[in-house]
Amino acid sequence: MQDYLDRVKRALADLELDEISPLLQEALDAGIPASALLEAMSAGMEMVGERFEAGDYFLADLVLAGEEMKEGVEVLKPHLSAGDIGGRGTVVVCTVRGDIHDIGKNLVCTMLRSAGFNVVDLGVDVPAERVVEAVRANSAAAVGLSVLLTTMVGSIGEVVEALKESGLRDSVKIAIGGACTTPELVERYGVDALGRDAVEAVRIFSGWAS
Amino acid sequence: MADQHDRVLAALELREPDRVPVMDLMNEFPVANAILDRGPNPLHRLIIDERLAPVLDQLFARLPTAALTDREMEQLTRRGAAAAVRMGYDAAWLTCFPVLRFRSSKVMTDIFGRLCDVSIDASGNLVNPIYREGLIKSPDDWRVWPKRDILRLPEKVHRVFQEVQREYGGRLFIFGFGNYGIFENTWQPLGFERFVVAARKEKDFLRRMISFHADLHCLLIEAMADAGVPAFVHTDDLAYRSGPMLSPRLIEELFGDHYRRIAETAHAQGMKILFHSCGNTTTLLPSMVDWGFDAVHPLEPTAGVALAEVKRTVGDRVCIIGNIDVSHVLVEGSREEVEAAVRSAIRDAGEGGGFILAPDHSLPNISVDRLRWMVEAAHRYGTYPREG
Repeated sequence: MQDYLDRVKRALADLELDEISPLLQEALDAGIPASALLEAMSAGMEMVGERFEAGDYFLADLVLAGEEMKEGVEVLKPHLSAGDIGGRGTVVVCTVRGDIHDIGKNLVCTMLRSAGFNVVDLGVDVPAERVVEAVRANSAAAVGLSVLLTTMVGSIGEVVEALKESGLRDSVKIAIGGACTTPELVERYGVDALGRDAVEAVRIFSGWAS
Repeated sequence: MADQHDRVLAALELREPDRVPVMDLMNEFPVANAILDRGPNPLHRLIIDERLAPVLDQLFARLPTAALTDREMEQLTRRGAAAAVRMGYDAAWLTCFPVLRFRSSKVMTDIFGRLCDVSIDASGNLVNPIYREGLIKSPDDWRVWPKRDILRLPEKVHRVFQEVQREYGGRLFIFGFGNYGIFENTWQPLGFERFVVAARKEKDFLRRMISFHADLHCLLIEAMADAGVPAFVHTDDLAYRSGPMLSPRLIEELFGDHYRRIAETAHAQGMKILFHSCGNTTTLLPSMVDWGFDAVHPLEPTAGVALAEVKRTVGDRVCIIGNIDVSHVLVEGSREEVEAAVRSAIRDAGEGGGFILAPDHSLPNISVDRLRWMVEAAHRYGTYPREG
């Protein structure tokens, strides 16, 4: 069993896109539990994150790893139970109103899922009210807001205000990220953290989850 | 006192001019209109009128909109030049990018395969459309993609730049921009995820696309040279705030030789060529020098680019352009903050010449007052020889 788990972890970490699906199928056929294979993939993603932070991997490599993870989860999905996925809590993620850039947002969603979070991805150009609804409906513990356009940073404030008005602000942590986000915006809008990239985002949400 | 052309050329050739030249990117109607004391264009007013949206949706779905959008783009080029001269800039990045087509009052496509949202600012100006996704999903999509409009681009750009160069070239050093770079024109019509997977599994397909776009760039350069434009902008966002989007090895493998060919084409025409890439480009700058570009822009401080470090590492081989922040300083900064940013940039990059002061992007919400403060500060603190 350990041999399969090591191979899965390595295939993910080494970005072997063509290998992952057949390898997972082979492992399932050999009787390896899907939940253990999912954990091995998550461990591989962690290595991807480490290599990114060390400067050995780049944004495209994170995206490729994300695609690999999605492909792998599709293979495992029929064999997983509800409790195997998203056990670390729920995070609502979106690109804010007025902005439709989604590369960074998608990457954060994939990396958070692989790190064991249940991610509610609201998509792009999302008004503040929808964030509030999603937080309430999913009992989310945290919110991730992505914004690339300088002209739309005010939408961050709208989400913060809407969460305050709904009485939910004290029960959720908010992180922001994207090309135009700065420490000044964290202070201006009273959010809790700023993530420079998807790997840092995982670290921030993991810190809050623990 | 040197004229604008000599001043900018000296900086591009890494010599000391009489003072640090000032340049701006004239890519947005709101800023050009504000400088020229003009309101939004009538067409823009029509597009934002919600009552007319159903009519426009019908019209745009049935009729070709190229004449409409191309005319708007030509107006931006002319208006940008007039605004740059009024501001007293030494140089301007002028855009003539007649590639957009309305599909409805809310959606545009471009001739390369991007789907974008129409974007209108608070005062009713049409601003740069916002990229949503790519329309080319497969090698077959690209094979049958209509290229006639793309191939007409050099001719259209030539006509507009010839006129603008003739009218404004004596008072403004023009950097001509007529197309997105070969990386952006490849990945955006595909979508980034699709591009990344193709870079692993379908390199020949990507190479065909990249080669096509590089050929087009060379034709555009020749068209601008023929129009008398002295410099060409190659804009390709290779980086984002944390660093390069692709590994430098993959960039070199897929794009390196094409960048060299593009730079060589400009030089063969007697033009200078600028490489623009947003994001933290620090680790890519030596490659840009190696590819043969004369200048690099914008060296964003908010992406973590340290200007003094750039000057130290590549400043003896390439002209440095930019570095004045548009996320805060040129939007809402105080006069003192604008002056401090200008002085800091000149201190870090001005020594010995080879530096052109410019905003680090063009955005519709940049304040004209702050741009004026930037110019005044550059004139006050940017004279050569520098004080020890």
